[in-house]
Amino acid sequence: MFNRIPSIRPETPFTSIREIVKAVIILKRLCAFLLIVLVAACTGPASDAFRFGLAGAPANLDPRFATDATSARINRLLYDRLVDFNDTFEPVPALADWEQLSPTHYRFHLKTNEHPFHDGTMLTAHDVKATYDFILNADNASPHRASLTVINRIAVPNETSLDFFLHYPEPLFPGYLVIGIVPAHLIAANHPLHERPIGSGPFSFLARPDETRLHLLRIRDQRRFEFITVPDPTVRALKLMAGEIDMLQNDLPPELIGYLENDSRLKVLRTSGTNFSYLGFSFDDAVTRQAYVRRAIAHAINRREIIQYVLDGAARPAQSLLPPEHWAGAQDLDPITYDPEKARTLLHQAGYSRDDPVRIVYKTSSDPFRIRLATILQHQLKSVGIDVDLRSYDWGTFYGDIKAGRFQMYSLAWVGIHTPDIFDYVFHSRSIPPNGANRGRFRSTQADAFIDRARAAPNLETKQESYLQLQHHLADALPYVPLWYEDHIFIARREIEGFTMARDGNYDGLTHVRRSPPDAL
Amino acid sequence: MFIRFLISRVLTALAVVFGVVCLVFFLLHLVPGDPVEVMLGESARPADRAALQQALGLDLPLHVQFGHYLANLSQFDLGTSFYSKRPIRDLLLERLPATVELGMAALLVALLLAIPLGILAAVKKETAWDIGATGVALFGVSIPNFWMGPMLILVGALWLGWFPVSGREGIASLVLPALTLGTALAAILSRMIRSALLEVLNEDFMRTARGKGLAERTVILRHGLRNALLPVITLVGLQLGALLSGAVITETVFSWPGIGSLVVEAIHRRDYPVVQATVLCISVSYVALNVLTDLAYARIDPRVRLGSRP
Repeated sequence: MFNRIPSIRPETPFTSIREIVKAVIILKRLCAFLLIVLVAACTGPASDAFRFGLAGAPANLDPRFATDATSARINRLLYDRLVDFNDTFEPVPALADWEQLSPTHYRFHLKTNEHPFHDGTMLTAHDVKATYDFILNADNASPHRASLTVINRIAVPNETSLDFFLHYPEPLFPGYLVIGIVPAHLIAANHPLHERPIGSGPFSFLARPDETRLHLLRIRDQRRFEFITVPDPTVRALKLMAGEIDMLQNDLPPELIGYLENDSRLKVLRTSGTNFSYLGFSFDDAVTRQAYVRRAIAHAINRREIIQYVLDGAARPAQSLLPPEHWAGAQDLDPITYDPEKARTLLHQAGYSRDDPVRIVYKTSSDPFRIRLATILQHQLKSVGIDVDLRSYDWGTFYGDIKAGRFQMYSLAWVGIHTPDIFDYVFHSRSIPPNGANRGRFRSTQADAFIDRARAAPNLETKQESYLQLQHHLADALPYVPLWYEDHIFIARREIEGFTMARDGNYDGLTHVRRSPPDAL
Repeated sequence: MFIRFLISRVLTALAVVFGVVCLVFFLLHLVPGDPVEVMLGESARPADRAALQQALGLDLPLHVQFGHYLANLSQFDLGTSFYSKRPIRDLLLERLPATVELGMAALLVALLLAIPLGILAAVKKETAWDIGATGVALFGVSIPNFWMGPMLILVGALWLGWFPVSGREGIASLVLPALTLGTALAAILSRMIRSALLEVLNEDFMRTARGKGLAERTVILRHGLRNALLPVITLVGLQLGALLSGAVITETVFSWPGIGSLVVEAIHRRDYPVVQATVLCISVSYVALNVLTDLAYARIDPRVRLGSRP
């Protein structure tokens, strides 16, 4: 046995060619193994389809249960509904037109069967009845039941007609029938529509490989559509720039929209929206219940500047919960002017001074953009002598506090408002949570009277009159300080054409979207 | 002796998992926000709210709900999502492969970067190589994933066009999230390897190895690194647990459909059964990896079995 002769090579690792070759071979084997594992694990590449970017995945594809905005928009593509809304938010026939036979009796006539269900069966009045009966059955715990409790019973005289009998007269009733119709035989069979939806809409369900991807087929031309969930707005924008998605709508911060507008490969479409942003106040609080204080806040906020510089012009100032183009919206409300001097005077009249300023706790969600807006409002209010203590919370905590009335001032937005009975729900003294959304505990006998009068009105004209009076009263009382209606923004690759935007932000425009040939660009 | 050690570790692990189950169940019910409110909105009438609470079993006293939960759990029934109405088992099975895939790829990236960097920094101590390796490690640790991810997307996907921006479609889509997730881990591991290797480099057995005339590469890799890897194994085990429990930020940035994004969505929706099941899954994987790490440690270092960890 001999001792090994000490090496005369330099004392550094990996110096000989042989060692390097050995190391490379080991590395190659490792990489080959990895490749096999990863190829086996990964799914295939994307197909040539229209790809639509979403900020959040639709939670439920069964219209009887869906409540989130994304599900509602996707479900409109999958399912037809009896009634829809026009640009002034008046109910218009969709699957059916109607006649009012008595104040509590509506007869709906289904249009000729242009829309069979995607499983081949025809949509009849029995399917409509089965859908609404299911929702009205308390055992099924549908979240839409509350809005339909006006229905006493439903009868089907024949395959294409059905009668709705109401508990009390409700001229707004047709506007309530906007839930997608599902096949009666699938309801009976307890078919999992949330997983495998079958409707009669212009798109049919193809697959949902995972929660982040949904594949639909446009029936008209058999074009495939992919809805891809990309929660991060920056990544969603980058995906659009890279051509991995073809289009998206909303949910982008304004600075990102401005950035994308400068990209020649993209185009940006805007339309006025109806999502109403506001500041809410507690009427149980000694400070914010004072009309002077609320009005001072209203005059201290420079809404035009915020819209121009923070929202990049993608909003319009709001005066009321309903936009002026709504059939019940007020068009003659005096705009709230930016007048810091007036705000200071009002605060002085309320007994506050520079030495004894108003101190208000302002609650908002933890969304970065909402916090930024809140910081700007805090700064503007500070300039007139209102000290704002800004607090942001995660959504559950924030929303819980607002419903429980644990706030002085907060900001939120109402989304997807179609019918004016929202006023009852938001401002009537009987609608204090848990019975409604009168979160500020606003109690006004005058407002209650206007709302009750509107509710009892036998026709839309009388209702409209009461709602207009109510909106003037609310503009004086200021239970909310209206801020703005945010626009809807649609951004697409330049070759995408034919998308028409809706005021409520729905995706119906996908029905006509097309890709222009390369030489047309 | 080893069997006793094994049994004791497994029993401890089961106790930890049970503790986590209890903690998550009760804490989740203390968090503000009610799933019924989230599902029905404020427009719901009290009667509808009560009906849904009954349908979801939320009207029962908390201890009864907990009893039902444990009974179902004992039959491996994780329940159904309040929101999507889908069985949670299906949701987890759908998401787990993506998380495992990303976790393993990130670990590989970390090891491929950390081992050469750590060795280089130790062998070339206090030279430009060491400073460079330290700088790289500091860079990796300091940069948050929410910034690193978009930067990698910008370069790798937009400028170079080599990889997709996000999503889980094809092998190329794994590269950027694995790099994002792996870089920070690589930084920690490389520092650990450096310090552990420096400790053993001047040990007697290293001098003996050199004295035997072994090549420096063999001395370092076979004798030095092998002994220096003991603390690194523990760290890798713990970090693997973290990787498999879902990297929430990385998964969100890259729209990676894994466990992390599932639990975040469920928390926002107050989808109690999904949160409970996901946290259970995470804690089981954590605890299992800890046990495996301990066992590996015990295999490598017999002193551990006697309860005297070095």
